[in-house]
Amino acid sequence: MISRRPLLALPTLLAAPALAQSDTRPSITIAVQKISNTNTLEPLREQSNVGERVFYSSLWEGLIGRDWLGDLSARPGLATEWRRISDSVLELKLRPGVRFHNGDEMTAEDVAFSFGRVRMFGNTPATAQGRTIPVGEGIPTPRPGKELPPEVPAIARRAFPALERVEVVDRLTVRFHNATPDVTLEGRLSRYGADVVSRRGYEEAATWLDWARKPITTGPYKVVDYRADAVLTLVAHDDYWGGRPPVRQIRFVEVPEVASRINGLLSGDYTFACDIPPDQIASIERNRAFEVQGGTILNHRLTVFDKNHAVLRDPRVRRAFTHAIDRQAIVDALWAGRTEVPKGLQWPFYGDMLIQDWTVPRFDLAEARRLLREANYRGEPIPYRLLNNYYTNQTATAQVLTEMWRAAGLNVQIEMKENWAQVLERTPSRAVRDWSNSAAFNDPVSSLVNQHGPNGQQQQVGEWTNEEMNRLSVELETSTDRERRKAVFRRLLEICEREDPAYTVLHQNATFTAKRRDTRWKASPAFAMDFRPGNFGS
Amino acid sequence: MLRFLASRLFRAALTIAMVVTFAFIVLRLSGDPAQIIMGADAPPEAVVAFRAAWGLDDPLWQQYFRYFAAILNGDLGRSMRDGRDAIDLVAERIPATLALTIPALFIKLALGIPAGVVAALHRNSFIDRAVMALAVAGFTVPSFVLGLLLVLVFAVQLGWLPSGGQESWRHAILPVITLGVGGAAVLARFTRSAMLEVLGQSYIRTASAKGVPWGAVVRNHALPNAAIPTVTIVGFMVGSLIAGAVVVESVFSWPGVGRLLVVAVANRDLAVVQCILLLVAATMVVSNLVVDLLYGVLDPRLRAAPQGAH
Repeated sequence: MISRRPLLALPTLLAAPALAQSDTRPSITIAVQKISNTNTLEPLREQSNVGERVFYSSLWEGLIGRDWLGDLSARPGLATEWRRISDSVLELKLRPGVRFHNGDEMTAEDVAFSFGRVRMFGNTPATAQGRTIPVGEGIPTPRPGKELPPEVPAIARRAFPALERVEVVDRLTVRFHNATPDVTLEGRLSRYGADVVSRRGYEEAATWLDWARKPITTGPYKVVDYRADAVLTLVAHDDYWGGRPPVRQIRFVEVPEVASRINGLLSGDYTFACDIPPDQIASIERNRAFEVQGGTILNHRLTVFDKNHAVLRDPRVRRAFTHAIDRQAIVDALWAGRTEVPKGLQWPFYGDMLIQDWTVPRFDLAEARRLLREANYRGEPIPYRLLNNYYTNQTATAQVLTEMWRAAGLNVQIEMKENWAQVLERTPSRAVRDWSNSAAFNDPVSSLVNQHGPNGQQQQVGEWTNEEMNRLSVELETSTDRERRKAVFRRLLEICEREDPAYTVLHQNATFTAKRRDTRWKASPAFAMDFRPGNFGS
Repeated sequence: MLRFLASRLFRAALTIAMVVTFAFIVLRLSGDPAQIIMGADAPPEAVVAFRAAWGLDDPLWQQYFRYFAAILNGDLGRSMRDGRDAIDLVAERIPATLALTIPALFIKLALGIPAGVVAALHRNSFIDRAVMALAVAGFTVPSFVLGLLLVLVFAVQLGWLPSGGQESWRHAILPVITLGVGGAAVLARFTRSAMLEVLGQSYIRTASAKGVPWGAVVRNHALPNAAIPTVTIVGFMVGSLIAGAVVVESVFSWPGVGRLLVVAVANRDLAVVQCILLLVAATMVVSNLVVDLLYGVLDPRLRAAPQGAH
C-alpha cells in the first residue's frame, strides 16, 4: 500500500538536488598546522591561537564583537547596544532575529545559560581580591557525561572572576552583575570565550564532549564533521543574521609539515596555507600567482626573568639584559621586517589606555655594561631554558639574543627543553625563558595584570613578585577613575619593564597565510580567519 | 609445541610489561601532562584542576600501579586530551595506517626479493651494480626527503596526484610508494646477501654437477635456503605494520596511528602512547612467533631440532 506521506514530501525531495546545484558558492580548504590542541571546539577548553583561527569568526560569536578586519576594537555583536547601570552592572540589548544552527532564535535565556554554572563556572565561587562572593544561584548536579572538565570553570573564572549572575530582564535584554566595580566588563564580553551557546543545543547533547565537538552557536558556519587531529568541516549557516555566508563549505585540514602545506597550496589542493614561517614568504611570492598575507597580531614575544636566580636577584643584571637587545635587528633579520617593535607590553587597541610615549628599553650596550659593572657581575653562567621553535623563529631568536647578551658581557647558556613543564620546573637553575603575552581584550588588565600580576602565571610559578605591582594591579582591576587607571598602568610598566624587570618585550608576533593572488580575501590582524559576508569572493 | 608456545608467550608478556614500564617512566619523568596539554598560557588554577582530575598529583608509584592494575583488567585508560577511551582512539586510526602499510609491504616484497635474487644471480655484473646502486639509494634517502620529492614532481609540477590528505585512493599512492621503496631496498640487499651465501654452498655445486638445470637449482635449492634471513626481515616489516609509517604519515598529512603517536608523545598522553605500544609489541610478538614457525617449514633440520636450539 502506498502511503500519502512520501508523496507529500516528493516536491521537497525533487527540489533538494536542484537547490544544491544552484548553490554556486565555492568550497575552500585551509591547511593548518593544528586544528585544536584539545580535540574540542569549546573556547573555554581550547585556549590557543590555533583555536582562535577556527573559532572566529566562523563558528563562535559573543555579545560584543570585534572589528576583525580593522583594529580589533569592540563592535556590536549579538548585542546591538549596551549601557552602564552602575559601575558593576552592565545592561545589553540583544540583536533580534538571531538564529542558532538548530534553528532556535537566540533569547536572553540562552545568554544567561551561556554565562551560568552549567556551561561555564561549575561549582567554582565568584571571587574578588581573594574574597569569596556568596551567590544565590544553586549549584546544579550535572547528569553523567555532562560534567564540565575541571579546567573549564577555572578558565571561565579567570575570564570573569567576579561575575555574580546574568539577569534576564526581558526576552531580549540581559544585565551582567559583577561583584565589584569593573570598567573592563565590556572588554571581557568581547574576549575569546565570552560566547553565546544555544541552551537547547547544549542540553540535548548526550555528553559534554559530544557538545564540545559540535557546538550549536550563532556563527556563519556550522560544524558538520570533526575528526580530531585530521579535519574539521563547516558548512554555511544560511540563516546567519549577518547575511548569507559567501562560502558553501570550509574544510580545515591538519597538515603538520610546513613544506607539505606549501606544496599543497602550490598544487591547488588547498585554498589557504596557514602558519607560514617568515623565511618562506619570499620563495612563495616568487611565483606571481601566490601571495602571503597577514602580519602583526595581539601577541608580543617576551624574555622572562626569574628574580630568584642567584645572579638575577639584582635588578641591574636584568636591566642589563633589556638594554643589550637590538630588537629591530631581530625584526629585520628573522621576520623580514614584517613585524615591529611595540611600545612595551601594550597595543594600540587599548585606545585611551595606551601610553603613547612609552617604549621598550633602548638598545645601549654601554648602559648594559655599566649596569653589570655596578652589579659586580663576574660572568657567572645564566641558564636560558629554550623550547625548539614553539614560537615562530624561537631558536634562531635565542641564538641571536645570546650573542647580543654576550656582547654586553652576559654569559647566557642555552638549555634545550622538550616541553613547558621542563621549562617551568622550579629549580635554582631557572633563570631566563621565553614567553608571549596576548591581549584578550582592550585593557592592560587583560595582559600585564593577567600574566604578571598577583594571580598571573609568572608569580604563581614563583618566578617574580613585587609588592607595589600587586597592590596597583588590584587598583587597576577595580578603579573606575580612568585618569587614575592610566597613571597606575604607567607605573606598572615602569616597575615590570624598567625598575624590577619581570620580562622584556622583544617584538610583536605575527602570523602569515599564503593563498593565490586571485582569491579575494583579506587577512585579519589576528589568528582569526574571517569568512563572513563581504570578505570572500566578489 | 605447547611448551614452545607457552614459553614464547611468557617472554612476550614480559617484554610488553617492560615496554609499558619503560614508557611510563620516561613519559612521566620528562614532563607534566597537565602543563603540556593546557599550554603555556593556561591559568595556573586550570592546570592544578586538570592535574587533580587525572590523578597526576598522586605519587608516581601510585599512578604506576593504578595504571598497571587497570591494564590487567583490560582498561587501557582514557586520553587526557579529550577524555575518550584510548583504545577507541587507536582503533579508529588503524585502518588508515594499514591502508598504507599493507600495500607498501606488497611493494617491498614484489620489488625487493626479485631484485635481490637477480642481483645475486648476476653477481658483479652491470645488473648487480645497477640494482645495488638503486637499493643503496632507496635505503639511504630518508623517507621524508623521498616523500617531498615525489610531491614536488607528481603533485606540484605534474599535478597528477594530490599532495596529501586521505580523501581517496589516489591520496594513498605517493605515501605507499614512499614507504615501499625504502623497504624494498632493504629486502633487496638482504636477499642478495643470503642468495650469494647459499649459491656458494657445496650442495649447489653438487646439484649443478649432477646436471640439474640451473633454474631448478635456484628454485629448489637456493631460494628456500636463502629465504630464512629474508623471512626474518619480512617478519619485522609485518610487525611494524601498525606504527611503521610515523614520518610518512606526517609528510602526507595522513591521519593514522603514526600521527596519533607523535601527538600523544608530545602531549605526554600516557594512555594513548601505552595503548599504541601495547599494540605494536603484540603485533611484533605474533609476527616473530609466525616467523619462528616458518623457520621450521622452510628448513626441516630446524623442525627436527629441539626447541630453543636455534
